[in-house]
Amino acid sequence: MKLTHHSHQSGFTLAEILTAMAIAVVIFAAIITSSLAMQKSFNAVDNYFATHIQQIRIIDYLNRDVKRALIVTTSADQQTVTLTIPKYVVQSTDQDGQSNSSLIGTMRTPTISPTSSYQVNYDYVGTTTPATSTVVYSINGASILRTEDGVVTTVASSTDSLVPKDSDTELTNTEYSTMSVTFLPIFTSGNVADERTGTTVFSLAYLRNKRRG
Amino acid sequence: MNAPEQPSFLSLISGISDADKSMKVSFIPNERGNVLLCAVCTIFIISLIAANVLLNCTTRYNQASNQVRSWNEALYAAESGADIAFNQVRILATSNSLNAFSTSNGWTTSGTTYTSGTTTFGTNGLRTSETVDLFYTDPTSGNAWYRIRSKGTSPLQGLKRTGMDDRLSNGNRFVANGSTRGDGDTLLRKIDFKYDHFTATYGPTGDGTNKAIVAVSPAPQLNRRIELIVAPITPFEAAIKVSGNFYGLGSAAYIDSYRSSVGPYDPTVKTKPSDYRYADSQSGTVEIDNSTATIMGDIYGNLYTNGGTATKKTLNVHGTIDNNVPFTLDSFSIPSYLPTPQASPTRVNANTTVTPPAAGTARAPTVYLLSSFDKTLTINQNGSSDTYVAIHLTSDFTGAIDVKPGVHVQFFINGNVDVKARDIINETGYAGNLQFYSISPTDGSSQHININSPGNFVATFYAPSADFTMNGNPDVTGAIIAKSFYGNGNTSWHYDRSLDFLGDVTDYRIASYVEDIR
Repeated sequence: MKLTHHSHQSGFTLAEILTAMAIAVVIFAAIITSSLAMQKSFNAVDNYFATHIQQIRIIDYLNRDVKRALIVTTSADQQTVTLTIPKYVVQSTDQDGQSNSSLIGTMRTPTISPTSSYQVNYDYVGTTTPATSTVVYSINGASILRTEDGVVTTVASSTDSLVPKDSDTELTNTEYSTMSVTFLPIFTSGNVADERTGTTVFSLAYLRNKRRG
Repeated sequence: MNAPEQPSFLSLISGISDADKSMKVSFIPNERGNVLLCAVCTIFIISLIAANVLLNCTTRYNQASNQVRSWNEALYAAESGADIAFNQVRILATSNSLNAFSTSNGWTTSGTTYTSGTTTFGTNGLRTSETVDLFYTDPTSGNAWYRIRSKGTSPLQGLKRTGMDDRLSNGNRFVANGSTRGDGDTLLRKIDFKYDHFTATYGPTGDGTNKAIVAVSPAPQLNRRIELIVAPITPFEAAIKVSGNFYGLGSAAYIDSYRSSVGPYDPTVKTKPSDYRYADSQSGTVEIDNSTATIMGDIYGNLYTNGGTATKKTLNVHGTIDNNVPFTLDSFSIPSYLPTPQASPTRVNANTTVTPPAAGTARAPTVYLLSSFDKTLTINQNGSSDTYVAIHLTSDFTGAIDVKPGVHVQFFINGNVDVKARDIINETGYAGNLQFYSISPTDGSSQHININSPGNFVATFYAPSADFTMNGNPDVTGAIIAKSFYGNGNTSWHYDRSLDFLGDVTDYRIASYVEDIR
């Protein structure tokens, strides 16, 4: 009663093919879905990391300038920071650099004024006028700008709505500045405020020129 | 030996065994586990995608993080180097000054410029090197100011890769010439991937000379450079400064200030904000390196304690109260630069008058070495020149001293001081012209200064190892630095702000900080 064994049978039945196709569709759908999800995930993670690096860059810029500043003031909304920084190197736009081009690129020698106080100044060469730069950090749209004597540098730019905040605390013999930068990730899933808070990077820097004796 | 028979494809997907279907379907021997293979391939492909995502993210993020870390560590290295140099400068203010900038510590000296070797430290191989030079000498006190230039280097771990700052790219980024650098992280951190951009653009010292293309080793790396100005700390920077207990003054006493170089003391200025001298009248500062202090009277200046609980009482402290200002008062020893003493007098056990043979200078005064002092010593001016005198008393001071106009006296005392205020006669009217220094006992024994009534005095006391007691209600112009202070009289005390510039250096402080961000 047994059927003859056909050793050269090589095809599939319709049921097998249909089943295999159905499975293949499911598998490919899974691959495509996974790929898209992975791509989105990659974009999200990459964007998050990139914005995070920009957060750190803003903090590092501010930290560097605060440490060497003479004066730091912040606006009421804490989003604009103005710093007065000694001009250590003679620039071509400085009055002494314009009057004597050989001075351009040289470092100024500080002057001491013992008649009233021991303030150390980096004066314009040949004068008693302190050479200082005014640096302003501000927000312009999606960009964080650093403006030094009118020259604008884009410190960071992101569609993730970066927001730096700075507060300045002046004590008797010292002064420090606290900085925090937040952003709102493109891919948010819940409470927007919490999403922003979760990205906070915080830093504190003392003005090296105002330290306790 | 034959392999065991494998189940067919249909049996796997239908759950019906081959034996049950033996009447309908033939056995197909070359069919194998295709579904399993497909599943494995799918998992493999998805895993590859996932791995690629992670690799892309983490590689660039790690590289950017490395750059951030190295950039910050380069500053740590530079500031550590500055600390090394600052420590050497501070040694200059001690009796061990000859050991400052020693060759055994890797320093080389050229005139008044000192250059360190390279110090390597930390698990990431941070390096620092420093240069210190004397760039200013105070014309009044002769004290030196130093400039420290420190360079910190941090090797950048990993390959020569860019970070995650490509969103801002619109310029040249990794060229040797730093002035044409682009933006983003490169503009801030100035990574030297292959060449030292600073040397190429500004020269090795930053002054524009000897520019050269120099390969960095190890590459890549980051460098940061800072310049610090180190200022001398002079003894008399506050009206009263004590490292221990403080009690005083009387409830009706007050401490204010003035600046003798601007004009004579006027007691009405301290309550007249419109007076041009008002700013100088609010520096009657009291500094206490202790958490316990009994403050009475009015202080027209600041009050500092170390962990104290003094709170502002409007009627008492007119300046700022800061309860977190710790400091140390090092023991005091006689300066090593003093010239050889005069042959006479060698003691003042009878009223004595001296006229120095030369006017001298603050750093080269006429010196008298005395073994006892219990009568009056009068010191005259040499001609019409400002005359500088140093007295070294190796015992107690119980006599009187009269400093004539035009004379500047530094009085170094090994023992105690027990005098009346009227015995301190300073006819110059300037506290800086009569400076008492109590030399710290080397055996740790106690030392005291007792100023009793009656009388007033114009002088300064620097006695970091002595307990200072003042009785009565004297009018005092000057400053006192001591181990402890007790005074219960209704004293009127005037600190002369010109004292800021007088006296030998007792220590150094960092007065200025700039970073060369090129």
